[in-house]
This record gives sequence, structure tokens and C-alpha cells, in this order.
Amino acid sequence: MRAADFIAFTLASLRAHRLRTFLTALGIAVGIASVILLTSIGEGLHRFVIAEFTQFGTNIINVSPGRIETHGAPLGAVNTVRPLTIDDAIALRKAPFIQVSDPLVQGNGEVRHGGKSRRVTIYGTGADFSRALSMRVAIGEYLPQDDPRTPRAFAVLGSKVARELFGGENPLGVPVRVGGQRYRVAGVMESKGQVLGFDLDDTVFIPVGRALEMFNRESLQEIHLTYEPTAPLAEVEEGIKRILVARHGLEDFTVTPQQKMLEVFGTVLSAITFAVVAIGAISLVVGGVGILTILTIAVAERTAEIGLLRSIGATRQRVLLLFLGEAAVLAAIGGVAGLLLGLSIAQLLQVALPALPVHTPWLYAVLAEAVAVAVGLIAGVLPARHAAQLDPLEALRGE
Amino acid sequence: MRLADLLEFAWRVVLGYRLRTLLILLAMGIGVAAVVVVSSLGEGARLYVVNQFGSLGTNLVIVLPGRSETAGAMPGVLIGKTPRDLAINDALSLKRSPAILRVAPLIIGVGDVHAGSRSRETPVLGATAEFIAVRQMEMAQGHFLPEGDPRHSQPVCVLGARLASELFGAKQVLGEWLRIGDRRFRVIGVLAKQGQSLGFNTDEIAIIPLAAAQALFNTESLFRILVEAKSREQIPFAKADVEEIIRLRHEGERDITVITQDAVLATFDRILRALTLAVGGIAAISLGVAGIIIMNVMLIAVTQRRKEIGLLKALGATGQQIRLAFFTEAILMALGGATVGLVVGKLGQMAVGQIYPDIPFDAPWWALIAAPLTAIITSVLFTVAPARRAAQLDPVQALAKR
Repeated sequence: MRAADFIAFTLASLRAHRLRTFLTALGIAVGIASVILLTSIGEGLHRFVIAEFTQFGTNIINVSPGRIETHGAPLGAVNTVRPLTIDDAIALRKAPFIQVSDPLVQGNGEVRHGGKSRRVTIYGTGADFSRALSMRVAIGEYLPQDDPRTPRAFAVLGSKVARELFGGENPLGVPVRVGGQRYRVAGVMESKGQVLGFDLDDTVFIPVGRALEMFNRESLQEIHLTYEPTAPLAEVEEGIKRILVARHGLEDFTVTPQQKMLEVFGTVLSAITFAVVAIGAISLVVGGVGILTILTIAVAERTAEIGLLRSIGATRQRVLLLFLGEAAVLAAIGGVAGLLLGLSIAQLLQVALPALPVHTPWLYAVLAEAVAVAVGLIAGVLPARHAAQLDPLEALRGE
Repeated sequence: MRLADLLEFAWRVVLGYRLRTLLILLAMGIGVAAVVVVSSLGEGARLYVVNQFGSLGTNLVIVLPGRSETAGAMPGVLIGKTPRDLAINDALSLKRSPAILRVAPLIIGVGDVHAGSRSRETPVLGATAEFIAVRQMEMAQGHFLPEGDPRHSQPVCVLGARLASELFGAKQVLGEWLRIGDRRFRVIGVLAKQGQSLGFNTDEIAIIPLAAAQALFNTESLFRILVEAKSREQIPFAKADVEEIIRLRHEGERDITVITQDAVLATFDRILRALTLAVGGIAAISLGVAGIIIMNVMLIAVTQRRKEIGLLKALGATGQQIRLAFFTEAILMALGGATVGLVVGKLGQMAVGQIYPDIPFDAPWWALIAAPLTAIITSVLFTVAPARRAAQLDPVQALAKR
């Protein structure tokens, strides 16, 4: 049999039972569509999380006190007998490849101006905070480059705080009370919105030295470092550890490069996506059972035809291939339909729910198609073997 | 046709095409089993989290310093400090409330513990005598921290089981001295093994008196106050009392956050229930696919059984009866598939339960009802078209043609 005949024969037998072909392909299509849709949502979520993190820059390293972690955050950030100090942060500026080293302490307090007050998150930072996390100042400037141990009383407001306290007025140079102390507004940050549950616009930034005093603590919560983007990460980490170990006598701090954090998030999200897709793929398996059922029926119906084919010289292998080909084509049609269905639902979702990130990588689309054909072939093996092993004489006589 | 006849007729058909029936049972079974297993995984995770939260104590109200006016952030992520601390006196004053049974102020931090030549960095908890009753933990040896004024401390400590064995090995632990940070403590008790609880391992902590922790970490401020209400009904009153008492003590400022265990639990419960429902739904898509297979097979059956249907109609069977025969067949197959699926799903659930004995896997009742029900409904729905086709066959044509 020539290849062209082979294809024509397969297509003809599929066309002969249009409804049957349609329903069988539909089974596969539903499976593929759900797999495509779920991977799209998973991949979209993955990208969303990575974008949330990398908006602060990719070459960031966090150093926090203590080496024990619970709930993903170092416990040492709360209380520790081995504090990280502002002097540590200053010393880290001299570590190799380090561009910016900025101490941070976080708290919660009241901001007051005129008759209005608001409870907000207070960040005690150095002068380089906006540079380290690539955050922009909308008006005025970020905190001035004072000695972080004895800074002047300037504050920078988050955009929401500025709006709530000042309305349309210009806040620059106006005194405000932060946690009961007087500060002068040096600038207002650009709006950043919610980032992973934290509202960065509802914040006030004050110099870290004063924040430590205000909260009556000696340890920083963390130190943000940025390094030259081309520098080898291992050496950067090594340099940080060397300096801090020299200052503290032992390794009583945790160094977390942002890239490592991203990797962890990536692994977790991939695992979840995989699990959900596996559940979705059950439909694909059931679709495969559908192909198996239909081909089994087809072999029984077409016994005479198979007998005839065999008696005019078609080999067993040829018959096997014919049925396998039919199964594969059925599955492939279903796969393409499912792909289109999944993609269009994904697009609809994107229009209907813009907050839900959706992204379909082409690799997955191709993979899904390959999986569909594979499912078809596996489902086709049993009936095709059954057809190939029919005895031509018996088959013809049965009719 | 009587019901018995109807059933027998359908039963014969189901038995007559064994391979076909088997394959449909397989498809339905996979779908039902998937729903059962997946939803029991979700339900297991939910029960696990709920139990873990329950084991933190009963009727708990948690007080944390600081308050933010922005919603959205999870309660409990506030780890920063505030200009006005929660002090020991704040905690003690809460006992004024008639709704409150016990109060356990907490300070938490990290310290290095030295015993002899061994040293470890561990979480250190500053607590009072009532802590053990509030958290419902058990002692393995010795006593918990002594009663008395929490503003003054004795140099004693209680160790987690794992920490005790790592520091002292098999030696007698009680009465030994150790050093945490720059202060010396005598071990007066060892906690019973409890294991991980919500990511926090109580086997590795050292518990010291509150005042000692204040000195050790050089801080006045409490990390949390755990408050136990007298009963479940008293929780809202306890919460209101806590807010009012602290407000009065803090010069009229509302600068604390009060969360109830029930509220946190309800949030988790809702999220995990929704997740279980979602994954169960995804698994249920496969039941839809199984329905498509049933429709396909039934359509073929109508063609193959033309003569039989024609004969039935010629003998006086109405279209209604023919339809009923097909539906009975579909329901029989769906029931069979559902039974197979439920059994396989239960077996799968038990197998997973063997691998993770800690997590109480159990299919929720709604899944056990919804899965077979969905199977039956989809198969009936997908039989509508083939049954109609069969019912509309003209008996003369059906018998005449071939």
C-alpha cells in the first residue's frame, strides 16, 4: 500500500462515521483542553510571582540575624541575642562586588499631621533604600545621605499616606509626627500598589537610626545588599559571610540571595502546577479509554473488511498499522481541537478576569499534542492487534 | 413493560456486550475514583490544618502589638515593632475581664544555648507558668516554669525533648545548668515530644521565664499575648474586653490587633474547602468525558440494534418505553462504574493513608454523594440523544432494511 492510499483509507473510514469520530475526538479534546488551560494558569501564576519579586531588581541579597527559619522567615528578625547592627551594614559596603548596603527595621506606628492620623507600616531605612529596591520617588527626594547612626529627622511618605494626610496639599517640608516624634517630609514615593499582600503605599520611611530608637531595639531586621549584576553569586555570598564572620566571630546570620528565593518559589509553583495538571490529565486517560472502546467496536463491525484486506494480500503488520493510524489520527484531531478550545478559554479568562494571569507556552502546546497522539496510539494497540490477528478465512466466513 | 422486565432487558444488553460494558465501567470508574481520591486528599489536608490549629489550645484569643489600617495582609505576619509596646502589665491587667480564664504573654527570639562543650542556636521562648495550660502541652519530666510574679524571674528553664537529648545525650537533664546568651539557667523540666506544629517545632525550643527573656533580648515588648476565654461563647466578650482594657491603658489609642483562633481557623477552613472543591471539580471533568463515551457507544448500539428495536415497536412498545430501556441501561452502567470507582478510590485513599499516617485522609461526604450522582446524571444526559434516535425509529423501515 502506498502512503497516499494508506492515508486516504484511514480518512475514509473516519469520515464514514462522522458522529462517532466527532464524539471520540471530543473526549480527547476535553482532556487536552483542561490540561492546556490548567498549565496556562499555572505558568501565568509563576510569571506573575516572578514579576512581583523582580520588580525590586534581581541582584538583591538579604542578610538577616539568626540562622533558624520558621514560616519561611528568620526568627531572628523578631528578637535575637546576636544582633545585626548598623555598623554591620556599613562594613558590608566594603564586601567585594557590593554596590549598595542598606539596613532595614520594620514596625507599625501612627503618623499624624494636623488633625488627621493614620496607623501605617514604618520602615526604618538607610539613604540607599530606594536605590537598592529600585523604588522611585514621585516628588522631593529620598532620605538624605546622613551618617545612619545619627541621622536628621526626615521622613518620606508612601503615596497613599500622603494622599490621606495631605489631600491635595504639597507635603514637602511640612512637619509630621511619626510614632510621637517630629519629622520633616523630604519626599513622597511613587505608587507601587500591593506586593504579595503588603501595601507599600501605606508606609512611612524614616532613617534607620531613629527607627531603632523609636522601637527600642538594637538589632536590624535585615540588610538589603545589591551586587554588580555580572558578579559571580557564590563569590559575593562568600565575601559577605567573610566580613560578618570576622565581625561576629561566628556565622549567626542568614544570607538569602533573591535568586535562591525565586528558585524555591519556582520549584513550589511547578510542583503545584504539575499536580493540578496531573488531575486534569485523568480526563485525557478517560478519553483514551473512549478511543479504545470505539476501535474495539469498529474492529468487530469491520471483520469482513479486514478479512477481505488480508485475503487480497495485506500483511498482518499492514492491518495493525491501519488501525493504529486511525487511532492516532482520531487523537490528533481531538488534540488540535482541544488545543484551540483550551487556548480560547484561556483568552476568554484573560478578558473576563484580567487579575488572573494566564500564559500558554508554545512548548506545552506542542507537548500536549504529542501526548494526545501517544494516548491514541496506546489506546489503539489492543484493538489493532486484535484486528491484525484475525484469520482471513474465518473473518470472511463469519459474514 | 413492568419494571422487572425493564431491568432484565437492560441487564441482558449490558451482559451481552461484555467488552463494551467493561470499557465503559473502566471510564466511569476512573472518573469516580479520581474524584474520591483527589477530594479525600484535599479534605485530609484541611482536617490536618484544622487539627493543628486546634492543638494550639482552645478558645484562644491572640493579641499582637501594632495595628495597620490596610487590610489584605494575613494576620500574624506583623513581626515588626511599635513605638508603644505591649508590656507585661498590659498582659496582667487583662485578667480583670470576667470572660478571660488565663493569660500567657510571650516573647520569642533566637539564642545560643551552651551546655558543657555543646552549643546550639535555638528558638527561645519567654513565657509564664500559665503558658503550658493555655497551649495544652505536656511535660515529660520535671515541672514547668514556677508560678509567681512574672515581673521577677528565677534562673530556670524548660527544654524541648529533642533539644534536651541533643545537649545532654542520655544523661540526667533535670537540675543541670546551661547558658543561654550570657545568662545561666537550671533545667527544671523537659517537654513531651510533640513534633512539628504549623512549621514551628516545639521539640527544639527552650522556655525561660518572661522577665529573663526581657533581659536576655534587652526588650520590654511582648511578641504576643495568648488569652484563653472561659468558654467558646465568651470569646467575643473576651475580644471586646481585651481591646477596651488595652485602649484605656494606652491613653485611648487603639494600637493592638486582636485575632481569635476561630477567625483564623474559619479563614483556613474556607480556603482549603474551596481548593478541595476546585480540584474535585477538575477531576470531575473526566466524568464528562466518560459521558461522551457512553453517548458514542449508545449511538452505535442504536444502529446495531435496529432490528431488535423495530421488532419491539412492532410488538407494541411505545417510544416512551424504548427510551426508558436505554436510560435503564445507562443508569445500570453508571451505577456499576460508580461502585467500581468508589471501591478503587477508597483503596487508593487507604494506600495514601499508609504512606502519610499523620494526615487524616477521608473523602468528604459531599464527594461520596456527588461523584456517583454526577456519574449517573452525565450518563443519563448523554443518553438523551441516542434514546431519542431509537424511539423515533420507524418499525417498518427498521425491520425492512437489511
